[in-house]
Amino acid sequence: MSNVIVNRVKEFLFRYPPFSFLSDELLESVAKEVELMYFSREEYIFRKGNPANPHFFVLKEGSVYLTEEDSGKMVVKDYCDEGDVFGVMALLGNRPYVLNAYAAEDSLLYAVPVDIFNKILKENSEVSLYFAAGFAAGQVVVRTDLSQSQKARKLFRDANSDHGLSLFLENGKVNFPTDVVSCQQGAKISEAARMMHEKDVGSIVVLDVQEHPVGIITDKDLRNRVVATGLSVDAKVEEIMTSPVMTMHHKSNFPSLYLMMIKHHLHHLVLTEDGTDQSKITGILSDHDVFLSQGNSPAVLIHALMNTWDVEEMKVIRDRAENLLAYYLENEVAIDFIANIISEVNDVIIRRAILLAKKKLDPSYPKAAKVPFCFLSLGSEGRQEQLLRTDLDNALVYEDVEEAERENTKAYFQQLSDEVIKVLLACGFHPCPSKVMANNSAWCNSLSIWESYFNEWVNLPDEESLIKATIFFDFRPVFGNKELAEAMTRHIFKAIDKREVFMSFLANNALLNPPPLGFFRNFIVEKSGEHKDQFDIKLRAMLPLADAARLLILSHRHMGVNNTFKRFEVLAELEPQNAELFREAGKAYEIFLRLRALEGIGSDSSGRYISPNSLGKLQRRMLKNAFSPIRQIQEMLALRFQTDFIDR
Amino acid sequence: MSWLDIFRKKANKIPEVEHYESLFEVDHAKNTALKELSFVVLDTETTGLDVKKDHVLAFGGVKIIKGRIKVDTSMESLLFSTKQNVSSIKIHEIIQSNDAMPIDDFVKELLPYLGKHIMVAHHAGFDLAMLEKLVKPYGLRKILNPIVDTGDLAIRIEHGVPYDPNRINLENYSLDALCERYNIPIHDRHTAAGDAFLTAQLLLKLLKEAEKRGIKTYGDLMRY
Repeated sequence: MSNVIVNRVKEFLFRYPPFSFLSDELLESVAKEVELMYFSREEYIFRKGNPANPHFFVLKEGSVYLTEEDSGKMVVKDYCDEGDVFGVMALLGNRPYVLNAYAAEDSLLYAVPVDIFNKILKENSEVSLYFAAGFAAGQVVVRTDLSQSQKARKLFRDANSDHGLSLFLENGKVNFPTDVVSCQQGAKISEAARMMHEKDVGSIVVLDVQEHPVGIITDKDLRNRVVATGLSVDAKVEEIMTSPVMTMHHKSNFPSLYLMMIKHHLHHLVLTEDGTDQSKITGILSDHDVFLSQGNSPAVLIHALMNTWDVEEMKVIRDRAENLLAYYLENEVAIDFIANIISEVNDVIIRRAILLAKKKLDPSYPKAAKVPFCFLSLGSEGRQEQLLRTDLDNALVYEDVEEAERENTKAYFQQLSDEVIKVLLACGFHPCPSKVMANNSAWCNSLSIWESYFNEWVNLPDEESLIKATIFFDFRPVFGNKELAEAMTRHIFKAIDKREVFMSFLANNALLNPPPLGFFRNFIVEKSGEHKDQFDIKLRAMLPLADAARLLILSHRHMGVNNTFKRFEVLAELEPQNAELFREAGKAYEIFLRLRALEGIGSDSSGRYISPNSLGKLQRRMLKNAFSPIRQIQEMLALRFQTDFIDR
Repeated sequence: MSWLDIFRKKANKIPEVEHYESLFEVDHAKNTALKELSFVVLDTETTGLDVKKDHVLAFGGVKIIKGRIKVDTSMESLLFSTKQNVSSIKIHEIIQSNDAMPIDDFVKELLPYLGKHIMVAHHAGFDLAMLEKLVKPYGLRKILNPIVDTGDLAIRIEHGVPYDPNRINLENYSLDALCERYNIPIHDRHTAAGDAFLTAQLLLKLLKEAEKRGIKTYGDLMRY
């Protein structure tokens, strides 16, 4: 067989999943069996109902539409371009084709025999996951399972994109003690413990006569091997020390030290002159030192925030939180954890800003300063979904006061809000273009005025009211009196109870933006078959889900859950019959949120607009799969809230 | 038979030649549809362009069976050569390698490989002559496979039959030019197998074009 030809085929296949997951050896065995076929435009490669071929296809050049006849009309269900895998029915249990494959252009195909691939499917979990996650084109009959998608994404993460260690390298300066607490072999445990106590350290190194390290004792050893076992403290340190000790050269760079600790689950790493335990000890590195040196751990950041009144410094810390965010996203840390951390950082900044403002203003407003109030985050920040510092959306509510105090109280809170927003802007947040901020006098008001707003929006659900409702219904108390926020929620429920038709309007509003069909080359494909070149992930994917979740949770009058994926979780419990769909929707939302944040960090923007050509094959497939629960939820809303009766 | 043949050393036919010749006792049916045909697409790398003086250094081939290039039918052989020609090393960067094959072995593999398939090459006449020179000492005077030249086929498709040879710029029908025109990414040029693979992809596309122009059967293709 010709190596030149096999290599050429291998090279092509390797560029695309699932072939990119194969070892060189396996890929070669596949490449050897491949056949090339050429179809001219308008030819059918296979038709719906045809028995499955003994091979599936990879499109090398041209384009193929997967179509289905719907009341006499050909409807394109999926678009394939270079590198797309399709016609996999034979692989999935030898069923007849469920769609037509039609060459929309002259197309060169690689046919990959199923026999050889079945073996691979059994052996390679990544490849089987690729198909299980529905990443091949036209796998519409297989219910897309986004949890498979998520799992797949973790596995398929490009190894090159792991900046985890480079993050450490950046501030790779790690401080560790060079004056190591040590004792000689033969010393009593009690002596060692006393030294540790005196020097206030968690570990002690045991040395031999040449001062080479032979073992290490930590707090944990004293607990587990002495106290718990009832060993005499007069016993020798050799009896409880961990030996031999792991050592490294004292001039090793930080990542290699860190990796060593991770690999061996070490809490302490001993550094010596030549890197072995046959030389003198020069220092000791603990996981605590590592923790501090990173400076990017959430606990460190929040701690630092709590200890500064300097706005400049708050901005620096918030910037560092963004590095942390990037690291978390790339390392597939659970999105709700990330969102919580980032919200917490943001909330701390807001709280500090309020305290700063109060310090400044309270002396001049002795009376107004005592009025209970609550600072609210709205919109995505209110839903704890704002990962990047996009627009600020917030408001302030305070308790109603006597007529005579009204003016003064309003002035106080107005000034307070002004100060707070100033600090937030200085910290790198962006002002809301439509001025939905607490320093807008309309959105800094007493509870009764807020209640009148809600009445108005619910009773007169015109376009503007609905937009307001979608922003303001997602409020979350950040500082101050939570009961005020709860009173607002109760009032909204009451208003809706009186006018249930409002829900239909809200539903109608949630249906304004149907998700696109998928991607083709560098275009977004709309359901109507139109193409667009940029994808508004916020408008077309995230908002529809956030709107749906809000509407549904509101329809259950469920209080206190603001976060979109948490709302879907709650909904899954409230409506067991739809649990699966809601969970899928939650996962889809997670996928969008993560992608948007990554895009935003990558392009230093809000991440809202994504060009298809920046997406890899897998990301496109994953997005496409994630669109499907949106469509299903929208169909459900239309039916449940009778939106057909409302003029659009 | 010419009287001169008496002086020619007549080579004895090896069994592979006997078998090969027997394949052609029955011809292909003229009305066989194009997509039912099988082709062996090949290329040779030689020490030079003079059929008399030069010889084959490398052979590459791949088959197209019923419209599909089958990678598992590909073949690649370096031939054992006693004459190393410096200029050919420059062009093809072929140096005598350890896996070079003795010519005896190659011929015994080549004939069953060619079988009865339609033989395809770019500028097929040259490859044909070089291969015939190679097999002659084994008792085969003539390669019997039907021949299709991708260069000629492209001209025939693009200009129709009959065409005026003076109006055709042959530079447009080099393998490179055709690959570019038919959107075939050029790789591994000047390795025998690489060129054979390119030629096979070109043939796949040309056959589709041919079909559109009414060349639908074996008879049409060979212009019987």
